[in-house]
Amino acid sequence: MEIGAIIHSLDPAVAAANPEEAGAKGELDALLYDRRSENGDFVGTAGSGPFRLSAWEAGKSAVFAANEDYREGRPFVDSIEIQMGRSAHDRVLDLELNKADFAQIPAELARQAADRGVRVSASRPNELLALVFLTGRGTTENVRVREAIARSINRAAIVNFILQKEGEPAGGLLPQWSSGTAFLFSTEADARGAKEIWAQVSPSPKLVLGYDSADTLEQSVAERIVVDAKEAGISLVSRAISASEKANAHGGSEGPTPHSEAIHADARLVRLRMPSPLPSVSLAAFIDRLGPLAGINGSPLPKSASPEDVYDSERSIINGGSVVPLVWLPQVYGLSARVRDWKQPAAGEGWPLADVWLDSTTDVH
Amino acid sequence: MRRLPRLFFLRAIITLAFFAFTAWSSQAQSAAQIPPEWNKALDTLAEKIAATAKPARTFSLDVRNISSLNAGDVTGLRQTLVEDLTGLGFSMTQKLPGEAQLQLTLSESAEDYVWVAEIRHGEAREVVIVSAVRDLVEKAGARKASLTLQRKLVWEQDERILDFALVPDGNAAGASILVVLQPDKIAFYDHRAEAWHLNREIAIPHARPVQRNVGGRIDPQAGTATLVDGVCAGDFQRPETVTCKSVPSAPGADLAMMQGSIVESDAALASTCSGSPLMLSTGSGDWTVRDFIQAYEDKNQREPIAQPIQFPGPILALWPAEDGKTARVVSRNLQTGAYEASIVSVSCGD
Repeated sequence: MEIGAIIHSLDPAVAAANPEEAGAKGELDALLYDRRSENGDFVGTAGSGPFRLSAWEAGKSAVFAANEDYREGRPFVDSIEIQMGRSAHDRVLDLELNKADFAQIPAELARQAADRGVRVSASRPNELLALVFLTGRGTTENVRVREAIARSINRAAIVNFILQKEGEPAGGLLPQWSSGTAFLFSTEADARGAKEIWAQVSPSPKLVLGYDSADTLEQSVAERIVVDAKEAGISLVSRAISASEKANAHGGSEGPTPHSEAIHADARLVRLRMPSPLPSVSLAAFIDRLGPLAGINGSPLPKSASPEDVYDSERSIINGGSVVPLVWLPQVYGLSARVRDWKQPAAGEGWPLADVWLDSTTDVH
Repeated sequence: MRRLPRLFFLRAIITLAFFAFTAWSSQAQSAAQIPPEWNKALDTLAEKIAATAKPARTFSLDVRNISSLNAGDVTGLRQTLVEDLTGLGFSMTQKLPGEAQLQLTLSESAEDYVWVAEIRHGEAREVVIVSAVRDLVEKAGARKASLTLQRKLVWEQDERILDFALVPDGNAAGASILVVLQPDKIAFYDHRAEAWHLNREIAIPHARPVQRNVGGRIDPQAGTATLVDGVCAGDFQRPETVTCKSVPSAPGADLAMMQGSIVESDAALASTCSGSPLMLSTGSGDWTVRDFIQAYEDKNQREPIAQPIQFPGPILALWPAEDGKTARVVSRNLQTGAYEASIVSVSCGD
């Protein structure tokens, strides 16, 4: 049996510069390694997981073969054939034409893929897209500037038009299904309030909102935020952050958190994927990631995992105004008709490709 | 018990209309009795509200439910909270301008119920929150329990456990042997100095690689441990007599295992208290959530007769033990990743 999969590149340098690539690489590593350390890094040897790398052509393709000796039992499929460098639209097309059995689909393309007959599986929303005011910028030190922009954003429009309703407006740092308290955070736009607050800012600065140049969703959302801001009289422009600029910000390392000073923008969009369904675990990870960017290093971690302590910590960050949650995104996967026993992975879990099997009676090729 | 193919764990979210407080509402509605655990959570919530709401002594109360609680539970919770607040010297009124308002939202997180009280007075808003155990709700009938389920952890290990058994030690009177069946071997442990020590392990040869969903079962009386493509046989009370060999798997056996048809989700036990046989059943969640075992008097599982016993992860195997009064349970601890072998027993009384 073979299973054709998406996937872009296993090149660590490429992965470090592109969040989507980094996510895909992490998912593939999870198929090759048996265990993770406490900090989430993969440990042991590649091939100790359910699959082993059996063929590799840099930048083009790879083949993962089932690990016959895997301690959790041999995977059902014999191998996974991975095509790299496929764009999101190509991936949907591959699924549509039955050239692939599995591919991750951007949330904004989920509806379109389903309309074209692709079998789509969406998780509960577990990835936050947020606007972060970068620390050390004189332009956004004024809390009124941050509040005016935050109030001007029409999250419902982002969900309805850009995401084609495949997501949820976000007011807090955790989704409702995880924390149970997200309803306490407002997601409503307040253009009038934004205008009134902006009028109190003098002199009114010209602001730059950065987005990842390789991320079409971030670009669309950034442009929508600029439109909303302009309606409130706020001077805001969007600007693509290139891979090289991001690489400089990373200082040559592969760490996920760049130095905010190296980004030429006052604010930027950030994607945050929940590492766990547990609210206290995810919130701590988000604080760790956002700290250097937004200057919220001093924000208190939840004192305990109780809903009240998690909410207090979350509220303190939101009230600080440096982080503006925008929308929650689900993980969306396209599957061919012959894939059986697919189980949507929970937040923090890898792709369960060792558990799926292919129904040979369903001829898709 | 986890059945394959794995079904997503879907919870219906029931959204109820707002319940406006009226002075006579307690007469109009019959509330379900709520579990003691929820009473404690409400007591705590009432105390937090009291500490936050002062100096107000009167407020209106709205309750909304955005969780999977049913209408009866919502009514019961509301009435209990009103009683708690009244006992603390507060009185409820209809919504009036200038009066403090209490909004109680019954929500839920990935783990538990989350009950949120928002106290509004003018522009000011204070929020207090408590959590309450969620797993109790599926077993509302268990409140009139007459049995108690108990779990005793016998063994845990990182490697997968398919089944286990405790058998008398044929070489040492009064001692026991723990037999642990894994996909690739069967292990025998002696109990010495308050701990189990490996005595002997025997590899199970397979004609082909071990499948991911391999299952197996020990029959101590028959002296066999059976897998799809392997079998061990001998006198389990004398491990030195046990041998294992590969056997051809029956056609379609793999598929049957994948589809869960040979996986059982309940175990019938002999009469313990009431004279009626007892059925133990697992929850219906997927492999990513905690599980429980519940006791029923009939196979239709209409009436739970005990408080459920919780497990820190999915239950992978549930078999009646040889004595007919206990059950062997293999589960996986989601926090540690370890496989756990436990004995579940039943005792009479609450």
